[in-house]
Amino acid sequence: MKKTIFTSILAASALLFAGCNSEGSTSGGTSEDGTFEPSQNIEMVAPAGAGGGWDTTAREVARVFGETDIIEENMTVVNKEGGGGAIAWAYIHGKDDSPYNLFVASPPLMFVPLNGQSEHGHEDFTPLANMIADYGAFAVSADSEWEDLNDLFDQMKADPESVTVVGTSAPGSMDHMQFVRIAKAAGVDPTKIKYVSDQDGGALTSVLNGSVDVFSTGVGEVVEQVRAGNIKVLGITAEERMEGEVLSDFPTAIEQGIDESFINWRGFFGPPNMDQAAVDYYEAKFKELSESEEFAEVREKYGWNEMYLNSAEYEEFLNTEYEEIEVLLEEIGLGN
Amino acid sequence: MSAFDGMITGFQVALSWEGILFVLIGVIVGTLIGMMPGLGPISAIAIMIPITYGMDPAPALVMMAGVYYGAVFGGSTSSILLNAPGISGTVATAFDGYPMAQQGKAGKALAIAAIASFFGGTVSVIMLMLLAPALSSVAISFGPPAYFALMLMGLTAISSLSEGSTIKAMISAVAGVMVVTIGIDPQTGTQRFTFGNINLLDGFDFLIIALGLFALAEVCMLVLNRKNRSLSDDQKLGSLKVTRADLKEMSGPMTRQSFVGFILGVLPGAGATIASFISYIFEKRISKNPEEFGKGSIKGLAAPESSNNAATSGAFVPLLSLGIPGSGTTAVMLGAFLVLGVQPGPLLMSDRPEIFWGIIASMYLGNIFLLVLNLPLIPYLAKILSIPRPLLISLVIMFSLIGVYSISFNVFDLYMLLVFGALGFAMRVFSFPAPPFILAFILGGMMEQAFRQSMTISNGNLAIFVNSPLPLSLILIAFLSLVIPGLLKWRSRRKLAKM
Repeated sequence: MKKTIFTSILAASALLFAGCNSEGSTSGGTSEDGTFEPSQNIEMVAPAGAGGGWDTTAREVARVFGETDIIEENMTVVNKEGGGGAIAWAYIHGKDDSPYNLFVASPPLMFVPLNGQSEHGHEDFTPLANMIADYGAFAVSADSEWEDLNDLFDQMKADPESVTVVGTSAPGSMDHMQFVRIAKAAGVDPTKIKYVSDQDGGALTSVLNGSVDVFSTGVGEVVEQVRAGNIKVLGITAEERMEGEVLSDFPTAIEQGIDESFINWRGFFGPPNMDQAAVDYYEAKFKELSESEEFAEVREKYGWNEMYLNSAEYEEFLNTEYEEIEVLLEEIGLGN
Repeated sequence: MSAFDGMITGFQVALSWEGILFVLIGVIVGTLIGMMPGLGPISAIAIMIPITYGMDPAPALVMMAGVYYGAVFGGSTSSILLNAPGISGTVATAFDGYPMAQQGKAGKALAIAAIASFFGGTVSVIMLMLLAPALSSVAISFGPPAYFALMLMGLTAISSLSEGSTIKAMISAVAGVMVVTIGIDPQTGTQRFTFGNINLLDGFDFLIIALGLFALAEVCMLVLNRKNRSLSDDQKLGSLKVTRADLKEMSGPMTRQSFVGFILGVLPGAGATIASFISYIFEKRISKNPEEFGKGSIKGLAAPESSNNAATSGAFVPLLSLGIPGSGTTAVMLGAFLVLGVQPGPLLMSDRPEIFWGIIASMYLGNIFLLVLNLPLIPYLAKILSIPRPLLISLVIMFSLIGVYSISFNVFDLYMLLVFGALGFAMRVFSFPAPPFILAFILGGMMEQAFRQSMTISNGNLAIFVNSPLPLSLILIAFLSLVIPGLLKWRSRRKLAKM
C-alpha cells in the first residue's frame, strides 16, 4: 500500500514537473522606457544531464544569482538532454523572443552543428555574455618516453601510425579538434592523426594501461591523476600558464614554441530574437555576477578562469572561432 | 593508513547519528525509487543532487551511495512481479523471478531476491574494503581489445537464452544489434539510421526497449489470455517462507556469483547488467538441471540478484580509487562528488579518508537496513498481484510511460515505447525470444565500439585480439563455452547410438 501512495505522489509530481516545463514563452517585461526587468521565473536550460559541465555551470550560476540577489526573480535549472545538445537548442530556438529562457553553452555549440548533428548553431541564438574559460590538456602515461609536446609531435611527424589519441567526444568535436589544432600548428599532418572516441569512461583507463598513447581532455580532468603520479601533462592549450597548485606546473603549447591555443569558453545565450532591452539587462547582470566575490569562489572551486565578454564582444569572438574551426574541419575531411 | 585503521575511521563516520540517519534515508529513497518500474539508480541519484547542495560531503555521499545500491536492491521487485525491469541490471532477474510469481510463489521469489541481494551486497563490501586499492590495477587492465573479447563472451550467452528455435534466437539478437546502431556513431560522428530526426540522435535508451519488449508485451499477453486471470488468493502471494532446502539450493549460486559480480562490476563499462547475465548463464551451464532455468528456478533467480548487487559495490572501486566512472550511474555519482567539493581520484583515500572509508563502512549498514526493511514489506508488495487485472494492467502501462518520459521528458520516446511494445507482442506471438534481443542491444553497442577502437589502434590488424593474454583467454573461453556443450551432446548421442 505504501508503494501505491508513494508512486501516486511521484506520478503527481512528474505531471507537475511536465506542466512547468511546457509553459509557453511570454515576452513581457520590457517597460515603456525601453528597459527590461524580469517579472516571472527564468528558465535556465542545461542541454545535458545532471552532473556534467554544462549542468554544474548552470546550477552554480543560478545559485549565486539567487544568493546574491543580483537577479531577484527565481532562476530554475532544467536539464534537457539529447543529441549532444541538439534537443535543447531546438527547444530554445522555438522560444523565439522570450526573455525568460536562457541556456549555457560551450564550443560544442559550434562543433555539433558543424558536424551536421544540429540544425541550430551559435549564429541562431542571442549571445548574452561569456563567463569562464577552461583549457584543453594533452596527457600521457607517467612512464611515457615523451617529455614535452615536441617529442610527441616529432614522433607523429616521423611515424603518424604509431600514435593514437583518445578523447571522450566524437571525432570532429572538442577533444579531437583541440588536439588537431595544436598539432597542425606544430607541423603535424592533420589528416593523419589517429583519434578514437571512448564515451563509456574508458578513455583514461586506455591511457593508463597503454592501449592508447595520448589523452586529449580538459585541464580539470587530469589534476588528480597528475598529483597521484599516474600521468603527466605534455602541454595545455592556454595562452599563459594557469594559476593554482599543480595547474601552474603545466607548460603551455605556446611556451614550447607552438603558436596556437584553444579556449573552452562557457557562456550564456537566449532565444533567436531576444529583445535588445533584455540583452542589455542580462549582459549587465552577468557582469555583476562575474565580478562578485561569491562567483570568484565558484571559479576557484572548479579551477575555471575568468573570461567575461559582453554580448557584442562575445559574438565577434564566436565568429572568429567558428571560421577557424570550419577551415580545420574541412582540411581533415570532416566538414560539411 | 591500513585497511583496518581505515575501517575504524569509516565506521566513525557511518555510525555517527548523522551517518546512520543518512544511510537510512538513502536506502529508503533508493529502494522505493528502484521498485518503480522504469525508475532506476540514475534517476534516483539525479533527483538527489540538488537536494544535497550545501550539505557536508561525507553524509551526503553516504546517502547518495545508499540511494544507488538501494535502487539496485529494490529494482528486482518490478522485474519479479510485473516482468517490467526498471534497470538493465534486473532484466535477468525477470527470467526466473517472473515465472515464479506466475506460479503463485511471488512472496518467496521476493524473499529469495532480497536474501541474494543482501548476500551479494555484503560479500562485495568486504571485498571492496580489503581489495579496493589493490583492485584498482584490475580496473585499468582492460583496454579496447579485452573489452571486445568480454562482450563477445557475453554474446555467446545467446545460445543459452534461447528456448526452442536457435534460428529465431539469432534473428532476435541480430535485430537487437541493428537497433543499437541507430544514432550518432561515436567513432565517426556520422548519423546512422536517424532519418534526419533529432530525437534519434542518441539512439534508444535501454529502458524504452526493456519496458516495451517485456512489460508492454506482457500486458498484451495478459489481455489476450483472459482465461488464466483468476489465480486463487493464497496462490497469488504464496508462502513467504524460504525453506532450509531453498537456502541450500541458493547458497552455491549466491557465493559464486557474488564474486563474479564483484569482479565484473570493477571493470569500467561492464557493470551490473553484464554481471547479471553472465552469472545467469554461468549457473545454467554448470547446473545439472539446466531445463529448469527460465521456468522459475531458485538458482536462476539467486544468481543474477547476488551478482548485480555485488557488481554495484564493485563499481565503487574505479570510482573511489581512480576517479573513473565505470557506468552511467557512477558518472552521475562523480558529478555529485564534484558538486560537493570532493575530487574523486587516486588520492581520495589519503586526502579524504573519512569519505573513502565512510562510504565503504556505510554499505555494511545499508545492506542490513535494506534486508530488515524489505523482508517485512514483501507481503504488501506481493499483494500488488491481487489488484484486479484490468487495474494492474493500467498501472503497468502508466508506470512504463512515466518511466520512459522521465528519461529526458521527450514525448517522442513514448511513441517509441509503444512501437517496441508492439514489436515485443509480435515477437511473443510468433515465439521469437526477447532476451537475446535485449542482450544483443546491451552488449552489441559496446562490442562494436571496442572493436573499432581496437582496429584504429592497430591500424586494422586483427592480431591485436590474440597478441596479448587477456583478450586471447577471454576469446578462448567464449569459444569453448560454445563448443563444449555441443561436443558433450554429440558424445552422449554417440554413446546412445552404440548401445
